[in-house]
This record gives sequence, C-alpha cells and structure tokens, in this order.
Amino acid sequence: MRRTIRSLSVLLLAGLLAAACAAPRQAPTTGGEPAGAKLRVGLVTDTGGVNDKSFNQSAWAGVQKAVAEFGVEAKFIESKQPTDYEKNIDQFATENYDIIITVGFLMGDATAAKAKQYPNIKFGIVDYAYFPTKDSPSCNDTVKDCYDDGGLKNVTSLMFQEDEVGFLAGVVAGGMTQSNVVCTVSGMEIPPVVRFVTGFQNGAKWINPNVSALNVYIPSFIDPAKGKETGNSMIDQGCDVVFGVGGNTGNGGLLAAKERGKMAIGVDTDQYETYPEVREVLLTSAAKNVDVAVFEFIKSVREGRFKAGINTANLKNGGVGLAPYHDWENKIPDSVKAKVQEAINGLKDGSLKTGY
Amino acid sequence: MNTTRFMWRSGWITIVVVVVGLFGAWVLLNAVIGGRCDAACVVGSLSQALRLATPIAFAALCGVICERAGVVDIGIEGKMLMSAMTCYAINLFGFQVLKDSMGAEAAGSLSRLLAVGLGMLSALLLAMLHAVVSIRFKVDQIISGTVINILAIGVTGYMYRSFLAENLPAGPGTFPILNIPFLANLPVIGPILFQQKPLTYVMLILMVAVHYVLFFTPWGLRTRAVGEHPRAADTLGINVFRTRYVNVWIGGLVAGLGGAWFTLEAVDVFNPLMTNGLGFIGLAAMIFGKWNPFGALAGALIFGLGSSVTSTVSIFRPDIPSQIPQMLPYILTIIVLTGVVGRAVPPAADGQPYEK
Repeated sequence: MRRTIRSLSVLLLAGLLAAACAAPRQAPTTGGEPAGAKLRVGLVTDTGGVNDKSFNQSAWAGVQKAVAEFGVEAKFIESKQPTDYEKNIDQFATENYDIIITVGFLMGDATAAKAKQYPNIKFGIVDYAYFPTKDSPSCNDTVKDCYDDGGLKNVTSLMFQEDEVGFLAGVVAGGMTQSNVVCTVSGMEIPPVVRFVTGFQNGAKWINPNVSALNVYIPSFIDPAKGKETGNSMIDQGCDVVFGVGGNTGNGGLLAAKERGKMAIGVDTDQYETYPEVREVLLTSAAKNVDVAVFEFIKSVREGRFKAGINTANLKNGGVGLAPYHDWENKIPDSVKAKVQEAINGLKDGSLKTGY
Repeated sequence: MNTTRFMWRSGWITIVVVVVGLFGAWVLLNAVIGGRCDAACVVGSLSQALRLATPIAFAALCGVICERAGVVDIGIEGKMLMSAMTCYAINLFGFQVLKDSMGAEAAGSLSRLLAVGLGMLSALLLAMLHAVVSIRFKVDQIISGTVINILAIGVTGYMYRSFLAENLPAGPGTFPILNIPFLANLPVIGPILFQQKPLTYVMLILMVAVHYVLFFTPWGLRTRAVGEHPRAADTLGINVFRTRYVNVWIGGLVAGLGGAWFTLEAVDVFNPLMTNGLGFIGLAAMIFGKWNPFGALAGALIFGLGSSVTSTVSIFRPDIPSQIPQMLPYILTIIVLTGVVGRAVPPAADGQPYEK
C-alpha cells in the first residue's frame, strides 16, 4: 500500500510537470532595453497557433514588423482551446501590457469582457466587429454603439472584406476550371469564412455562369486530415479548383488538389511561401493583409492616434488582395487576368457587388 | 469443431448484415441528396471510409492487444500524437539531410520509412512507461493512461514550439498511393481496397495477423488467459507480468503506426492536438467490436463511413445547416452501439493489476 501511494505521488508530480509543459506556448520577449520605456504588445492567437501558415501567423508577422521598426516589446501566447482565451488575455493584462491583440472571430466575447475589465489597455481584435444585439454577452442592444457607449472605448476591430478577395479568387477559379466545377474546403461556419466562400462562389459564377460551386464546412481549423478527405470527395464530384478556407483544415484541401493533380487557391496569406509543398498547383492566394492591419494598429497606438471602432480593410485601401500567381504567371491566360482586373476595378468603384 | 462452425456461421451473418446495412444507408443517403450518389460516389465513399478508418483501427487494435492481456490503455491518443509529431519531424529533417547525397525521390522514401520506425519507437517509449507504472507499480491504469496523454500533449507542444513552428524547409510529402498490381484494376473492389497508401494495407494485414495470433497460437491463448484469470494462468506456469509487458509494448508500436498515418499518410503538416480524439474513438471501436480485431475494424469503418457520408450530404445539400450532417458519425455510432451490438463484456481481469 505504501508503495502504491509513493508511486502515485510520483505520478502526480509527473502529471503536473507535463501540464506545466503543456502551458501555452510563449515566445521570448524581444529587445533588451529596460521595460517601461517601451510599448509592450501581447498577441493571443486562436487555436491555430502562430504556425498555422495562415492568419495567426500573419498577425504575428505584423507584430514582429513593429518590433523591428519601432523596437516595441512583444510576446505571444497560443490558445490551446477556447476556454484559454480569457486566461491568456489576463496573463498579458496582469503584466501591464499596453496593447493586446486577439486573433480571430471566436475570441469576440472574451475580448469584450476583458476590454471592459482593463479599460487602460488598448485592444485590437482581428475579424470581430461588435454590433448591439439583444442578449449579447459582449454588447447588448441597450446602447447605440458598442464602442462609444457600450463600454468598448478601448477596442479597435480589424475587419477585412474577405468577400471582395474571395470574389477575385472565384474569378480566377471560374476562369481556369476545365470541368466547370469549383469547390471550397472550409473551416467553421463563422462570418469571415462565410464571406470568403460567398464571394468565391459569386466570383466564379460572374466570369463563368456555367460553373457550379461546391462547399463543405468542417467544424475545426486544425483538422487537415478531414480537410483533405473532404477535398477528395469534392474532386470526386468533378471539382478541379480547390479553394482552402480554414487554416490547417483548408491546407488539407490544398494537399488533396496536389495529390490528385488539380488546381488550388490558398487563403489568408501568400501560401506559396507558407506551404511550399503545394506550390506546383497553387494558382494564387486570397490574402488578407492581417500583418499590415496589425502593424498599422500598433503604429496608431504608438503615435497616439488610437480610435475605437471598426477598421475595415478592403481592396480599395489595399488591406486585402490576390497574392502573385508565381509559377502560374504564364499559364493563366491574359483573358482571365483581364477579367480579374475588371473585377478589381468594379469592386473598388462599387459598380460590382460580391453578393455578401 | 463446433466453435469453428459457429464462427463461420456468425461470419456469414455479419457479412449479410453489413451488406444490407450499407445498402440501406445508400438508399437513405440518396433520399436525402436527391439520388445523386451514383456508383462512382459509392466507391469513392467506401474507399474514403477505409482511409478515415485507418488511424481509428490502429488505435482500436492497440486497445485489443493491451486489454486482452488485462491492461486498460486510454493513453492511445497520447501515443499517436507523440508518434505523429516524431514522424513529421524525422520525415522533414531526415529529408533535408538525405536529399543531397541521393535523389529527392529516394531521400523521400528513405526518410518516410525512417520516420515510421522512429515514430513507432517514440510511441513504444510511452507504452513502456505505461507498462512499468501499471504492471510493476500497480498504479490505477486509467490514471497512468491519462498521464501518458497529458505528457504527450506537453512534449509534442514543446517540440512544436521549439523546432517545428517557424521557417521550415519544404518536406518530401506523404507516402504515394501504392497500387497493388492486378488487384488494383478490379472493378469496385480495386479502387476501394487496392488503390490505397501503404499504412492502410499494413492496418488490414495487422488485423488478420492479430486475429490469428490471438485465437490460433499459444501466445494468444496465454494472452487471453492472463486477461481473463491471471491467477489461474499463473498457477499453470504462464508468466503473467511478462505477457502483459510484451502486449503493452506491442500495442505501443501499433499505436505508433496510427500516429504515423496522420503526418505521413494523410497530410504533410503537424499541428498540436491533431489526433483530434481519434484514439478515444478507437477505444469505442474496440468495445463495439467486443475486443475482437475484426469487430474493431468494423467499428472503425462505421465511423469512417459516417464521416465520409457527412461530406457527401454537405456537398449536395448546402441548404441543410452544416452542423446537422456533422453530427452524423456520432449519432450513427450511438445507434449502432445500442441497437446492433448488444452487451459488450470486457476481459474479466481488464484493468486489474496482478498481485502475485
């Protein structure tokens, strides 16, 4: 019996150690000057983590750019699960960070709650805009504006018109498809993903009315194996251009396209750089310049220009856009490229609508 | 012998039930999606079901091997995660080292094989820990298994953060599809069974092998004796401890193969927690199969098929909210577990440490 108790306690210790190791991943702080003089920026990622080859990674890149240019001090924490969001924000707040950037639609409620709790910290949230809604935990409809009088005076929402760049990706896909079937391997059915998908489908139909656009939502951003098999299912149904919209899950779709010799379109960043294994089939990527938005946000705080509210990045201000065609530069016909340009102009001057 | 005849008869009954069940499922599916699942779609779904069932089947097999000897192993998930991470890292970095001295093709094949070996070894290490703690020190096996899971999350998270997060070179990709000569060209059966990737074949062969070893060899008899009544086995001169050790180790190696599936066969990316609970679903498949290898495979296939049908429904019925088809595999599991299988009785000494 005594031996059992002893070994149990050893086990408990091992478990604790392991749990400590499993604690959220943190990057070392950058910069060697004494703290206090410098602006301190904390980034809380969604479950995808800073190596998701996608928007979390891009947000961290924006922070790193601010580190390089302004010498701010920066650190990130990765959320392992949604219950970590508030805890991770707390960690930065208790260390008196000046700016906390939260990445992703799913962190909307956590960010609002914490922004109210720490009114002196400036929050930037990627992909979530607050609107007064009945019974909403973050901003209910007793107010007119969530930012001005809803208690979120210290929050800026960094929003992107994914539907615009999704539309352009759709134009490329609709112009390149041989089978007249294009498809999207999507992550969770949340507004940014839906905007991408809707824009994509309408763009494909705009250039090519005969096209049919398939789509499957997968309730995870970290399930590439499922993403790949879903891509395979749609390729079985004739799809020959796969648009992966969902972090690592979407990356699975790109891989399916590569293995079956079809075409693919990346998302969020120029995936030619972040996912080199699929280069040969990658037509382009529907990029959200999260890095630019995050960098500009830090810059605005640094220069005392912080403004609560919604900050929308679109084609017009260069916040979203198609990545280069890279290896496909010479294989995409000029007629398709001309249509892409036509769509860009139309979306910019408002004569063309994405249908979202 | 009577038992043999019984096994044959129950085998035939099983086959009839499976065929009728599949046909019923197909009719039901077509009713939902308006008759659009043709022969090609059926073949595609079944082939995909087998692919998605592979990691679950490996996990279930690990469970069968351990629990038949009386050791409960809920650390399968952790072992698979550890192996997935190891395989990814070895494949990626082994390729960089090897590609200069040999061609990229050969380097890719070699690094993948090396990765499988070391991945299995990493899972074996965890299995050895589980074995020592639960057999020698007689700790509650559920606790030990939980510790293995937490430990694996910690270690893989740490490795990911330190070495697998940023600035990675391009890897050699996954195993190519291995067409079995002649058999691959058979209609229907060919694309389902013989145009798969290597680990899927390994899984099918292992199923047969474990079934044979468990029920037709002295070793299997001893294993089952130790799992049912270790005291009796001991009085007959069977080394209970040694039998349990070896079974847990072999189970670890098999779980390692399951982990390899994620990063060497399904996709060529790794992200933390990417095993997504399939280790636990493997345990459910094992119980479904009443601790028999083929039964476990059937359980894994049902889940794989449910998962595959989910995509098909989503593709053809975008008007149905995506969450409803996503529930399908789980609902199916519950229905089959309660309606078809009946009472599942574990080995009598399952989970009980043996005191000499």
